[in-house]
Amino acid sequence: MRTIEYLTSPDLASAFWAVVVTGLMIALFAGALSVLVVVKRLAFIGQGVSHAAFGGVGLAYLIGVGAGNGVGAGLGLLAVLLAFSLAAALGIAWLGERSGARTDTAIGIVLAVSMALGFVLLREAGARAAVTGSPAPPAIEGVLFGSVASVSWFDAGLAAVTCLGVLGVLFLVRRPMLFWAFDERVCEAFGAPGNRMRILLLCLLAIAVVVTVKLAGVVLATALFVLPGAIALRLADRLWVVVGLALAAAVVGMLGGLVVSFELDLQVGPGVVLVLAGMYAIALGVGAGTRRLATG
Amino acid sequence: MPETPQPPALEFHGVGYTYPGAAIAGAQSAEAIRGVTLDVRVGERVGILGPNGGGKSTLLKIALGLLDGYDGEVRVFGRSPAQARRDGLVGYVPQRVEAELGFPVSARQVVQMAATVGVPAWRPSGAGVRARVDECLEMVGAADFASRAIGKLSGGQLQRVMIARALAREPRMLMLDEPTVGIDAAGQERFASLVERLNKGLGLTIVVVSHDLRTIATSCDRVACLRRTLHYHDAPGGLTPAVLAEVFSHDIEAVFGEVHIDAHAAADCDDPSHQHHHGHHHHDHDDNDHECGGGHP
Repeated sequence: MRTIEYLTSPDLASAFWAVVVTGLMIALFAGALSVLVVVKRLAFIGQGVSHAAFGGVGLAYLIGVGAGNGVGAGLGLLAVLLAFSLAAALGIAWLGERSGARTDTAIGIVLAVSMALGFVLLREAGARAAVTGSPAPPAIEGVLFGSVASVSWFDAGLAAVTCLGVLGVLFLVRRPMLFWAFDERVCEAFGAPGNRMRILLLCLLAIAVVVTVKLAGVVLATALFVLPGAIALRLADRLWVVVGLALAAAVVGMLGGLVVSFELDLQVGPGVVLVLAGMYAIALGVGAGTRRLATG
Repeated sequence: MPETPQPPALEFHGVGYTYPGAAIAGAQSAEAIRGVTLDVRVGERVGILGPNGGGKSTLLKIALGLLDGYDGEVRVFGRSPAQARRDGLVGYVPQRVEAELGFPVSARQVVQMAATVGVPAWRPSGAGVRARVDECLEMVGAADFASRAIGKLSGGQLQRVMIARALAREPRMLMLDEPTVGIDAAGQERFASLVERLNKGLGLTIVVVSHDLRTIATSCDRVACLRRTLHYHDAPGGLTPAVLAEVFSHDIEAVFGEVHIDAHAAADCDDPSHQHHHGHHHHDHDDNDHECGGGHP
């Protein structure tokens, strides 16, 4: 068992516990957001936002922000990624609101352009680093699918702050957010905020995705914001049961995925996604079974 | 002009609205309504009948304070529509297809969403809110299935929950949009008697907007027919078979005979006395000028 070795060996334990704590914090806010993402059909927007982060990674390394392991580098990288992803989220929302423009077209364009841009910029940053001798940008594979090596206690702290922030904001706006999520076109007629809730949710999603990207990768991060909610909604139709199940699914999927990736020496993204996908398949079976029992 | 003891529940004076250019691609004209003058008094049950695309939802949105930039004047209980919305004076029952029925909430939670609008986040929804939610569910006969998931209700049950939600903020007027779409005959009868109960029992002013003549005939005392502008207003003495026949023929005309209707509307303006045949007689103020002036600038 490599997992136990990693978490107990005096040389490795600190680095790997940072990964576990980061993963747990991410699982909590991703699980909470995933219910809203599934119900409001924001999965594809999330995908667009996380891919925009790839362009952000490329730009950050090209202009020399984010290289190295210090807190300054971490904050610099975070700032560039946040700018990219928030711009993508709000741009997609803005395009989607204008009648005539199709949201999925907008996302398709933003997603592809960010990926192309990120690839070109990362290549360029790598070539420059080789010439100047400055720290090389991370391997593209790690950016796409996530990596354990780049995650530090700084990232764990960042994930914890994000977790507190996202869950705190969701708690504060739980009533208008719920009303908006259930009946978007009607809530304003009742004096509840409507469009402001959409923008707030997209911003929370953008921030959460950016914090997740380093561990789970640009391509697979959104799975954490979709699969837990999808699993929970298969199994229950009581709001707080669904939220609880989504949180539990995200935590189990994250820890299981970390074990898989430690054992198989895989990137974290694929490990987490495969574990969550397996849980979803089981939930499909259980959901179908209980429905058959219920109908006789 | 005699003094009115209290302002009408809903006043439209020469109200027009044109959607901005790009909003409706390919449409010849984006004008939704024009020269609409309407006067709903407190305690009345008024139906607004019109074909799909006739401007009914535009009229509703303006009354609910959701659409700005209209011409003319709109007052809801003497206030601006936006103010009336903030004050929770108007309960709104939308067409049911608009809500997210896959959402994991119970009927009770749906009513509670409206009951807790404006309650600060740090304050738990207390016993007062819970009592109000139960009262609303009881009023519409939805107490039996209050804890069932919203997606598992029948069309009629869902509609009652939507009405309970509209009652949650203790409004003085209910506006219902196509309330009987997808509801069976028995459900429609229950709906009509519920509307009567809310109207007579609670003194709620009722405005029903529908393309379905039967819905309006069974639940309202007065009818206005809307196809861009109001073609007919008032049915004094209730809906007699003769009045129904006239409204019905107007509806047919509105759907099939645009040219004829426009000529008819113009004739109304040229000859105000013509309108009095249609029953414009018990208004406190003469709004014929508004209607004609707004309709044909």
